[in-house]
Amino acid sequence: MGSYIARRVLQGVFTLFLVFFLLHLLTTLAIQINGNPALAFFGDKIPSKSQLVEVEKRYHLDDPCFEQFGNPCVRPFLERLNGYAHGDFGSNLRGDQQITAMVATAAPNTLRLFAVVTVTWLIGGMLLGSLAARHRGRAPDYSIRFLSILIDAFPVFVMLLVYKYILAVPIERWMSRQTGEDSLATLMFKPSFDPDHPWATVIVPGVLLGITGSAAFIRLVRASQLETYNADHVRTARAKGLRETRVTLFHIVRNSSIPVVTAIGFVFADALAGAVITEGLMNIYGMGGLLWRSVRESEVSVVVGTVALLAVVVLTVNVLVDLAYAVLDPRIRYD
Amino acid sequence: MRMARVLAVGAATMLAVSACASGNSGDGAEAAKKSVLHSALGQSVDTLLPADSNVGDNIGVDDVLFSGLVRYDIDTGKPYNYMAQSITSTDNKTWTIKIKKGWTFQNGEPVDAAAYARAWNAAAYGPNAFANNYFFDKVAGYDTMQGEVEEDDDGNVKVLKKPSATELSGLKVVDAQTLQVTLNSQFAAFPTILGYTGFFPMAEKCAKDLRACATKPIGNGPFKVTSWDRGQKLVAERWKGYKGAEKPSYDRIEWREYGENEVSWPDFQSGDVDLSAPPPEQWASAMNDPELKKRMVKRPTTALTFLAFPLYAGKPWTDPNFRKAVSLAIDVDTIIKQVAPGRYTRATGWVPTTVFGGRKNVCDSCRYDPAEAKKLLAQAGGWPKGKVMKIALGSDTTQEAIFKAIGDQLKLNLGINYSLVPSEEFFSLRSARKFQGPFRNNWYADYNLNENYLRPVYASGDPKKGNTNFGYYDKKFEAKLDEADQADNTADAVRLYQQAEDILAADFPTVPLYVSDSVTFYGDHLGNVKLNPFSGAVDLRILKIAK
Repeated sequence: MGSYIARRVLQGVFTLFLVFFLLHLLTTLAIQINGNPALAFFGDKIPSKSQLVEVEKRYHLDDPCFEQFGNPCVRPFLERLNGYAHGDFGSNLRGDQQITAMVATAAPNTLRLFAVVTVTWLIGGMLLGSLAARHRGRAPDYSIRFLSILIDAFPVFVMLLVYKYILAVPIERWMSRQTGEDSLATLMFKPSFDPDHPWATVIVPGVLLGITGSAAFIRLVRASQLETYNADHVRTARAKGLRETRVTLFHIVRNSSIPVVTAIGFVFADALAGAVITEGLMNIYGMGGLLWRSVRESEVSVVVGTVALLAVVVLTVNVLVDLAYAVLDPRIRYD
Repeated sequence: MRMARVLAVGAATMLAVSACASGNSGDGAEAAKKSVLHSALGQSVDTLLPADSNVGDNIGVDDVLFSGLVRYDIDTGKPYNYMAQSITSTDNKTWTIKIKKGWTFQNGEPVDAAAYARAWNAAAYGPNAFANNYFFDKVAGYDTMQGEVEEDDDGNVKVLKKPSATELSGLKVVDAQTLQVTLNSQFAAFPTILGYTGFFPMAEKCAKDLRACATKPIGNGPFKVTSWDRGQKLVAERWKGYKGAEKPSYDRIEWREYGENEVSWPDFQSGDVDLSAPPPEQWASAMNDPELKKRMVKRPTTALTFLAFPLYAGKPWTDPNFRKAVSLAIDVDTIIKQVAPGRYTRATGWVPTTVFGGRKNVCDSCRYDPAEAKKLLAQAGGWPKGKVMKIALGSDTTQEAIFKAIGDQLKLNLGINYSLVPSEEFFSLRSARKFQGPFRNNWYADYNLNENYLRPVYASGDPKKGNTNFGYYDKKFEAKLDEADQADNTADAVRLYQQAEDILAADFPTVPLYVSDSVTFYGDHLGNVKLNPFSGAVDLRILKIAK
């Protein structure tokens, strides 16, 4: 077990290094092709040379390698790695906000969104998937499978646009008349995120984002449960005369949930992509939104810093899931 | 067992969700006692330091946090003395500014001549890299505060000399209420530019920590910032110590920050935001709603959009007939009507008519005449066969739609194949002169004078390279600007600047396209909603909220 953990963690560190380097190469190339992002800082107005020098320093763009096309700019990369190693992820280009502080404000909102998404997945995916498996080949199975295809046909941004621009306002008005202006039901259907009510206003966007991801979950749960339905130990359990609910809950659901738990690991990374769109449209100040804005505003150091932090989080979650999987299933440890 | 635990976690999360949600609702009741304006703000606002604020959003916030020497009449746009008692000069070069007594900053410091000198010195100091630095190049001593830098052929910039001064030699604090300003040369219209954000005063505490002041401003205006959750919400309360004439009639402003401005429209519909405008696709339905239309204010702004050419790239761009042919081939009126109705007005000059000195019909070729366009194109030698014209612009859905229509007309009327190149990197590409085809430009007034559309946009003093963005240079044009700067009075100056604009009209370096109209819808409990003649933003000082 010890050597398995060591191997997995080392692999994680190596992957992280590769992610950092790739990220660095891409941003360097972008600067070399597009020209100086420091200029974007001034917009329509033309800066004096001394102003430009000052802003280049802020961006850490004063290294001549950024002018030479194809130069991998190793020195700035090492400087940045050194900073990361000391917990310094840099600041925004004005230098008045540390990236770690920006993430500290943004991350809770994203985690709230993920919490709602995960609950939606588990409830929707587990429930519908189990139902479909149980009634295999009959009407409930067909309609649930049809539903999962239907969900796939609606990308998250379509759902959000329709919700935000067409449904949210009438629903909120109606709720407000029924239950009062400050009731949970009214707050839930606000067309945008409200930092004063961070939980209430994140529920609907989270559920919508969760629904779009749940189609894959439904199919995964259904497939893995069907496999267990025909397994020997289930037949044995039934043969021993156990009741059907007990067989389902303790012998089918439990055994088939191992791949589902593992799936949460990589689905987490998937949700991050959906979060960028959701946070942008619903105006949630979260990690995805932070990244989205930084890219638009050429905040190079914020982009690199947040992506680096996100990479750390995603890899950590994946390593943890792998380790948990190894604990659950002894076969993994002895490969 | 494992499943049960997962479900338990899920249930606990749901409980936590509902608990937190209901726990917060007490806030609303407390806020209801005060009259609060809910407004929207772009999340890209990252400073409130006047010296460094040059985009619509932070200029709009600074307008209620600070008061300057001069303000502009909300109806006519004419400048009048506000914090200044008088602004006088005998030679238009040395100006004496008398400042009203008794004003203080929100931290108790006096707003005196020193407060203005402090602010202007900080803005003019090159290494601070403040956005409004270039406004001070007219003041004596500006050059010594910039230092010297060298740029080699690869574009590497190296500092040769640090600035030798940290203060403008042209600024003299005569006494507490008197500031003397010496300019490099005569500039009759100097008082008209003093109402701009970049000329607002600065507290001494601020000068000691500029960075802190960018997010916790110390103002002298009717509102005072009380909290700012960066990226989420900015709150300002009415400041009781305000001495100025425009005392606000409500208690608080809450700006909710948005990643993209148009996202605030549904929040306006649900009553969470009091001022907003619909995104293009919702425009028609908003305009067809008679109840909403009653609560709309509209005003032409000073934002001019024009098409520029890579004059640094040689033929055919350098041929004025070619440029005029492009202008004549575009039916701007129809494009505006079809793509973005009610939001733009056709421009007929290089200075919008909303700006002091701007005139109608200065541009002779700003009309739709495809036959004439074909003739001029032929005279210019035509468009190279088989070549695709790349039209560049920034990323913006409305502008992309308009410029696609412009490209379609060039294809229809001149037979030029085009491709649209929208880019997030637009500004850096433009400064690096990477464009090999026409590109979109936009300019809005920093101060109310036609000069602002001429010198900063087209002059460079560099006959070899021309100005940075387009490579334009004209000796007569620059000489006329210099002559106008040295006029005896504003009226003469404006007339001479108009003559400089006429030189542009003959040369035709760019195609004026349209001037943006500012449109805002407001909540039914608001009154006296008027738009600022320059920024097009709602004047928050005179706004009224029904209790």
